Amino acid sequence: MAAFVEFGEALTLGLASGPACIAACGPVLVPSLLTERAGLSPHVRYLSAFLGARLVGYLLFAAAAWEIGSLAVLPPGLRVLLMGSVNVLLAVVLLGYAYSARNFCGPSCAKSELESKLVKIGAAKSRGASGAAALGLLTGLSLCPPFIAAGVRAAELGGIIQALLFFTFFFVGTTVWFVPFVGMGCIARNQAVMTVARMAMALIAIFYLLTGIALLIGRKAYGY
Amino acid sequence: MATNACRPLLARPAPRGVGRSVLLTLPILLWALLMFFHPGANPAQLERIAAALTVCLMSALFFMMMKTGNTYRWRRCFFVLLGVLFPIGFIHNLIVARGTMGIPIEEMIAGRTPFCFLVIPTIILPAALTKTLVFPGSILSSTHGIASMVALWLACTLVLGKGWCAYACFFGGIEEGVATIPARARIRKIDLRWRYGPWAVLLAMVLLSLALFEPAYCMWLCPFKAVTEFVAARNAVGVVQNVIFILLFVGLVIVLPLLTKKRTQCSFFCPFGAFQSLFNKTSVFDVRIDPTRCKTCVICQNACPTMSLSKESIARGETLSTCMKCGACVDACPRQAAVWHIKGTEVAFKPERARLMFLYAAWALAVMFGGSIIAQGIATILHFVI
Repeated sequence: MAAFVEFGEALTLGLASGPACIAACGPVLVPSLLTERAGLSPHVRYLSAFLGARLVGYLLFAAAAWEIGSLAVLPPGLRVLLMGSVNVLLAVVLLGYAYSARNFCGPSCAKSELESKLVKIGAAKSRGASGAAALGLLTGLSLCPPFIAAGVRAAELGGIIQALLFFTFFFVGTTVWFVPFVGMGCIARNQAVMTVARMAMALIAIFYLLTGIALLIGRKAYGY
Repeated sequence: MATNACRPLLARPAPRGVGRSVLLTLPILLWALLMFFHPGANPAQLERIAAALTVCLMSALFFMMMKTGNTYRWRRCFFVLLGVLFPIGFIHNLIVARGTMGIPIEEMIAGRTPFCFLVIPTIILPAALTKTLVFPGSILSSTHGIASMVALWLACTLVLGKGWCAYACFFGGIEEGVATIPARARIRKIDLRWRYGPWAVLLAMVLLSLALFEPAYCMWLCPFKAVTEFVAARNAVGVVQNVIFILLFVGLVIVLPLLTKKRTQCSFFCPFGAFQSLFNKTSVFDVRIDPTRCKTCVICQNACPTMSLSKESIARGETLSTCMKCGACVDACPRQAAVWHIKGTEVAFKPERARLMFLYAAWALAVMFGGSIIAQGIATILHFVI
């Protein structure tokens, strides 16, 4: 009975924290989704890979933190190292993702024949799920406030299995909030949408890169 | 219904006589006097002189618009002056009030940061989702409060659409001034994909503001921090932020306008401009191209400072959504095919009347918002000179 209460609590915490999770993942999720093909099924595939990898990230972090006894309070040095590294990796993956979308838009993307002459548009290509999975894994490892709240509660549980299950139910709760993103498949894709999404991804990647490097330099300089 | 038959050339509006131009300028003069010398206002002597000079300047520029029929040239005089005088008055006030252009963290915590309209698009989502304003300013402060600025912006934007960017934005004047310096552009071929830049910056900044719960554009990307106020650099992050501000200012506001003769920051970067473009749909005023007169000479396209005309849009008889209604294309067109227009009326139906109606609304804003900034800048200069 106690287990049901705990997992119910995790589910509720996830449901309640969902908007904060979306806010934290939004800069990665929205532009990368916009570079997918239009239609619901490509978006379901992307979100499945993203969320699945995010769950793996959650569980990896929970298991590692449990093992070193730091699930509730991560030492500042470790936290900065993790955040800095994750930010730099996110930047690299986002830049790669933006670059890989350069030839994604097919000839049908162009509004008119005249417009298609203005910008070189390559043949349509399908993309694998590895990019989405990498982004999901890294966002799962970044320490957003709801994730820390779940960590504090999970640390109070009796064993690692319960902690992992707690995180799994927490994940299920937050995942409900990601379902509406499938609707982005209804947005028509044209040259403008693809270019804006790729430029936004590059900009966000530069932001993550700068903050990641600043965190790592700060850790090195100040020793925390 | 438009026909393919070629319409006769519109005669370029004959210059008005002095008397008629004065009559048309009178409402603006009265508006300016009301703004600067309303009952209850008791400015000091220097401020009074500055206000009088501003009233004369704004009325004279409007008079010249009426007399010559040219919009862009006289608007540009006002706009460049606005861009030059804004930093002078603003920085002077900062130095007097704080002793520094850097915003100390204590000032931000106390909510004493002057509000800037560029932040508006990035605070909407956090405000809607959490009922929290992610800007370290005061809502009800009398002069630089968030509420007063948002109300002013909203009222003007609903009427003028992106006209805000040509008649009120005190930042745009700097690059417009720089863009007028070279005789001709050194870079003429610009990849049209850069026009999507403002939308990308808008998307990225809205998402990052929501994620970080701070006005991300203000904190990281605003080029105009270099000439207004900036985050005081007290650590490595602060230094990086200030380096970004200076690089963006030099690149987008100085170097690229000199090379292209375009407002490059507005055209390729400004997220507020992209946001304003959405409101061109709500404005009743726009600029149209009359296809029956247009010979596709693309003089208008070359004249446009924000690349808001393309061959496709000219063929459709309209400007792109980024048009800020500065009047450059209308004044440049030798066949009067580019015309001011009021939505719901026939294209080229009494375009001078449409121009007048738009200019009264736009210049009223210019006097109220830009005029007060110009007056402040003049007062600062007088303070040092006299």
